Amino acid sequence: MSDYAPVNLSAPDQIEFELNRRRLAAPAGTMLVDAAYAHGVEVPVFCYEPRLGGPIGACRMCLVHVEGMRGLQTACSTQVQPDMVVRSDTDEVRDAHDGVLELLLANHPLDCPVCDKGGECPLQDRTFKFGPGKTQFVEHKRHFPKPLDLSSLIALDRERCITCFRCVRFSQEVAEDGHLIMRERGGDSEIATFTGDHYTGRFTGNVIDLCPVGALTSVPYRFVARPWDIKNTPSVCGHCPVGCNLELTEHEGHVARVTGRPNPNYSVEEGWLCDKARFAYPEDRAPDRVRQPLIRDAAATREVAIEEAVEAAALLLGRDGPHAFLLGPGATVEEGFLAQELASGPCRGALVAQLGLGDAPALAGLRAAPAAQLDDIDRADLVVLVGGDPANQQPVVELRIRKAVRGGGRLVSAGPRRHPLSGLGPSYITPPGRLLDGVRAAGPAFRAARRPLVLWDEADLAHEPAAAAELAGLLGATRGARQLELGADVNGAGLSALGIPGAADLVAALEQGTITTLLTIHAQPAESAGAARWAEALGRVGAVVALASHGGGIADSAAVVLPAATHREQEGVYVSMAKRAQRLRPGAAPPGGAAPGWELLIALAHRLGAAPAYRSPAATFAAAAAARPALAGLSYDVIGELGALLHAAPPATTNGAVGGGGADGTGLPLVTTLRIFGDAAAHRSDALSGVRQGAEVVLGAGEAERRGLAGAAQVRLQSPHGACTLPLRVDPRCPDGAVHATLGVPGAGVERLLAVDRSPVRVEVTAA
Amino acid sequence: MTADEIRGHIDPIRDQFAEGRSLILPALKFAQTEKGYLDGADLEAVGEAVGLTTAYVESVATFYDRLYLQPTGRRVISVCINLSCMLRGCDELLSHLTGRLGLPSDGGSTDDGAFTVQQAQCLGYCDRAPCLQVDVGETQGPMSLDDADALIEALRAAPTPDRLWR
Amino acid sequence: MPQRHIVYLHREHPGDMAQLPEYVKAGGYNGLMKALADMEPDDVLYQLHRSGVRGRGGAGFPMGRKASFLPKDSPRPAYVVCNADESEPGTFKDREIMEFNPFQLLEGIVLAGYAIGSNHGYIYIRGEYEHQARVLDRAIAQAYEGGYLGSGLLRSRFDFDITLYRGAGAYICGEETGLLDSLEGKRGQPRLKPPFPAVAGLYASPTLINNVETLTTVPVIVAKGADWYATLGTEKSTGTKVFSVSGHVMKPGNYEIVMGDTSLRELLYDICGGFRPGHDFKACWIGGSSVPVLTAEHVDTRLDYESCETAGTYLGSAGCIVMDDSGCIVRSSLRLAHFYRHESCGKCTPCREGTMWMEKVLQRIVDGEGRMEDLELLESIMGRISGRVLCALADGAVAPIESALRLFRDDFVHAVEHGSPAREPMAPMGA
Ligand SMILES: Cc1cc2nc3c(=O)[nH]c(=O)nc-3n(C[C@H](O)[C@H](O)[C@H](O)COP(=O)(O)O)c2cc1C
Ligand code: SF4
Ligand code: FES
Repeated sequence: MSDYAPVNLSAPDQIEFELNRRRLAAPAGTMLVDAAYAHGVEVPVFCYEPRLGGPIGACRMCLVHVEGMRGLQTACSTQVQPDMVVRSDTDEVRDAHDGVLELLLANHPLDCPVCDKGGECPLQDRTFKFGPGKTQFVEHKRHFPKPLDLSSLIALDRERCITCFRCVRFSQEVAEDGHLIMRERGGDSEIATFTGDHYTGRFTGNVIDLCPVGALTSVPYRFVARPWDIKNTPSVCGHCPVGCNLELTEHEGHVARVTGRPNPNYSVEEGWLCDKARFAYPEDRAPDRVRQPLIRDAAATREVAIEEAVEAAALLLGRDGPHAFLLGPGATVEEGFLAQELASGPCRGALVAQLGLGDAPALAGLRAAPAAQLDDIDRADLVVLVGGDPANQQPVVELRIRKAVRGGGRLVSAGPRRHPLSGLGPSYITPPGRLLDGVRAAGPAFRAARRPLVLWDEADLAHEPAAAAELAGLLGATRGARQLELGADVNGAGLSALGIPGAADLVAALEQGTITTLLTIHAQPAESAGAARWAEALGRVGAVVALASHGGGIADSAAVVLPAATHREQEGVYVSMAKRAQRLRPGAAPPGGAAPGWELLIALAHRLGAAPAYRSPAATFAAAAAARPALAGLSYDVIGELGALLHAAPPATTNGAVGGGGADGTGLPLVTTLRIFGDAAAHRSDALSGVRQGAEVVLGAGEAERRGLAGAAQVRLQSPHGACTLPLRVDPRCPDGAVHATLGVPGAGVERLLAVDRSPVRVEVTAA
Repeated sequence: MTADEIRGHIDPIRDQFAEGRSLILPALKFAQTEKGYLDGADLEAVGEAVGLTTAYVESVATFYDRLYLQPTGRRVISVCINLSCMLRGCDELLSHLTGRLGLPSDGGSTDDGAFTVQQAQCLGYCDRAPCLQVDVGETQGPMSLDDADALIEALRAAPTPDRLWR
Repeated sequence: MPQRHIVYLHREHPGDMAQLPEYVKAGGYNGLMKALADMEPDDVLYQLHRSGVRGRGGAGFPMGRKASFLPKDSPRPAYVVCNADESEPGTFKDREIMEFNPFQLLEGIVLAGYAIGSNHGYIYIRGEYEHQARVLDRAIAQAYEGGYLGSGLLRSRFDFDITLYRGAGAYICGEETGLLDSLEGKRGQPRLKPPFPAVAGLYASPTLINNVETLTTVPVIVAKGADWYATLGTEKSTGTKVFSVSGHVMKPGNYEIVMGDTSLRELLYDICGGFRPGHDFKACWIGGSSVPVLTAEHVDTRLDYESCETAGTYLGSAGCIVMDDSGCIVRSSLRLAHFYRHESCGKCTPCREGTMWMEKVLQRIVDGEGRMEDLELLESIMGRISGRVLCALADGAVAPIESALRLFRDDFVHAVEHGSPAREPMAPMGA
């Protein structure tokens, strides 16, 4: 982690000061440590971490001499002043640095050779640079019982702790989970949870990055690798549409760790990651990983060489069409574009669609309003959260909202479900279809605000055109108001930028039995909304070619399986929900015979006799940018380390969700929820096995009573589209008038209750 | 102690503080009057009554010497060991008391649960050194060894603790 | 002997001053009545300024100046906080004020509130003073009943409430920002300054925080006038000061004396009855334990802020711990090191680690396992603590030990060679 705040040296109103006899400048309000770092002078710090809030001045590592002030000053808490004269290189200052280090090391075990932090340890580095000329400590070191697991993800070695308070401040003041604490006093101070409970939460892994010593380390990464045996690659998370920037650690050919970026993207994740982003990587080596190309016929399934598999796929796609190409939400822009190129070339006439929501017409007005980035949330005096559940669906957004509220901003939320942020401000729970009431309730607060920001949930609003229109109206009527979409699909925005529509036409074509070959690209239709209808429709297609990284679903029945790289293993571009194009970079090569999707698609085109002129993801993207106005002006270079915003709106497509009709069916309106550790990735990752979440049905106490279900353990849900059976939980705080069920959990089948376009449904709930 | 009992104690003073968190010490002290120490359930109840996580309550409780997270004897004798008392013989007083009760010389609790003897920092009765405090009662001194013997007898005869911080 | 009873008014009156009628009979609440009737808040503030009264909690900062730092235009309510944590070793003056003269303290808090435009005061009293807290509880109840607290007090338009808040055993909660964090329901760890409490104190509001003795002085200043008050004492140390004397003197206790009129010698020998036969003065920590030690050489130091500084120490809280030649300076230093180690809040590295290390080294020396180089080691550790921490606890830990090592070096060398006596005998002395 970079320990210093970024400093804009080209901002107006620079203050001039002197550091170590150099005349320098920095913006007003800049802390001395940050100003110095921006000018290449490292004043060492331990407790300072600007992302945790104001400085606390605890470790005393950053002492400097400021002319005219008595004693040494903590540079982490001293702002630059005009003509301030600062020295960080006097004998007195050196002695102070050396002294604090000597004191820190007095009780620190010198077990660097066996410490997971060794080689990437700020304490080690700073001891080397600023460190004790001598150690005079001959006493017995402070002793704590040996290391323990704070959770299935985090290990704690108290003897190594230097009491910098970073981890507890993160827990108390950033994630606000309140579970990680300092207990006891003075030299007995220790990091703890309540009577040894597990440290649980959505963001716990951040304390590993924050810890400047090896006190808090990753359990899944424990003893896996030494720093000289690894390679770190900056990339972007592929688990939700926020697009957090992160770093992938490669060891022995696979991704063995995910950490926050040393140089955070302050407009996106600010260096924080949710635990799914950090600990889902073992899914790349899950037992159901597709490692070899497969060809399947009535008689048998054969592992084949990649050339043979591509040949077989080309044969299927070379037949007379029409064909159909279905992209999953995690497909990259390059993969989407290559599919489109196939459809306009050798497979002319093929339908190309995405499994995601696509471009719902109801949302056009909202999307046209001035857009915000995640860091704008910090500065909003009012955050209006409409629909959704960011804590579970776009997790890092939760931290931004909490930050805004800590900073004095207000939160008003409206939507069909109670969620972890509901309690931070007034919250209007509305039944599905009635979100308009919630938006109207939030209206007055909206008008009183100076910098309001609307966070609206794509999936919820796609079917609430009245609410969307009202919200768009409020945005238009309020000066300074901005909006940020809480997207539903990882790269939904990227695929929409290419003009790829939702899958309504595609599923209808499949049902009519007219499609010869279906090529799926990272798509699992039978585990997506409308699963029942998809399963039926897939039965009528001539043949399926599946480009997939994991087995299960379509890969278990496809005629040809092309083993694909995951988002941690390939190059490509994802467009975040804030319309920021960012680069995936491979942290490791895919295993076995697997290959990146772009490479497989180019090979396929080649086989089909229409080899594209480009042979790399960068060139593919360049061609897409040249051909699609929404991507105009972008290239890998322009995107760079921190991403670049799309300037033009994506083309309108007609195949997205069309809302406005009443809910299908009889019974209670269905509210779907997602749980951060409930999806396929979380279920595949053995690292997350201790926290993974299953599916459940939740009913309010009144509703359960009325339906005679108060004592039922399992219930059956039946919609016009399908049915499923799940455990029931009765929650007195859950609003009545709807039934809540968890989407996205592998095997749970809630997707079967839905239509392909995720339009509202009612379900009959009965004891099972 | 239950969260409701604690609420009953702190609700009347709630409006004296701009932030509810301030009620944590009054709540902890009140919860401690029941058994003389706080167990996990007490911390949980305090957290519920004040609106804080149990972990947070624990972090605050462990900061203070006079909140106990381990069982104590019915009567807690705190012997001041700071400089003024040292100059007037508190070390002898402490070892006399602990010796008489069969405790380690630096303090501890008797097996029958009757007494805890602990070291205290300056109790603010240096003019009456060496001094000691029983529970939260008024500090006593100067204590001779005979006084200490008499005190133990008196406490045995009157085992009801004086724990209430109001 | 020039003793005056200003804050210790109760000693001049026969009645029980902890009862409201007696306090009023003795002239109590004259200051408040005068202020509410004839004075604007700024007039009161000006009187405090003019009186020159300095904080009695240890740092000696002029009270009027501190009160004038509070912003007048803050949108947040202002608070008065009375520091009654009195945990400085050797200090027990606030205890007696609260127990025997509680109304004068309450009156002082109300007056301070009136001066700064505050309507709410808190008394943070250490948990060990439950006995005194109960006296204050009673006094506060009586004051409300008598109309000396509450809304429209003394039929004026001024409202003032006082809340008594009990600590739970932590010396650091006497440090003003540690106190505020504790009062806010947090671990009582000192805050980074600035902002100072005057600007952002309790609940981030403007806060005037003063010691019990300081606030107890206020009614007298207001009633009798700053000019009268300033005639007592010296130019920079006006008024009287209560000295808590303990240790090896024949008559330990609290003594209120006019600043600068008395010398340490007079205090020890005349007022406190001197030493046991056959023993004489060896060392004293005059301002509580957190100050450099004084030796026989300094016994003629006059008792005021300036003279103490000239002698190389601080008046501090005037908790004067006295040791005669039967005491051991090395064991005393270890005892203090143990105290500071035990009380370090753990926030700052030098304080947390340094006090622990100091104690370990001193323990070895006392146990007879010292090495000559340990004396330099101690100096080195202390050099790495002093002036490099957030609050004054750590400097207070260094001051007595650094000075002892300097002024009584022979004793330390002797201890390295022979160890120290195991323990002090019980010392039966005059009460
Ligand atoms: C470690 C430490 C402990 C302190 N303890 C006390 C105390 O118990 N009582 C007190 O009045 N001041 C104490 N102080 C001083 C306070 O920080 C503060 O200066 C004082 O309350 C201000 O009041 P005054 O100006 O009236 O003295 C302590 C300071 C430190 C650094
Ligand atoms: S565990 Fe690490 S982050 Fe937490 S206080 Fe200790 S050193 Fe700091
Ligand atoms: S900072 Fe903790 S004791 Fe001063």
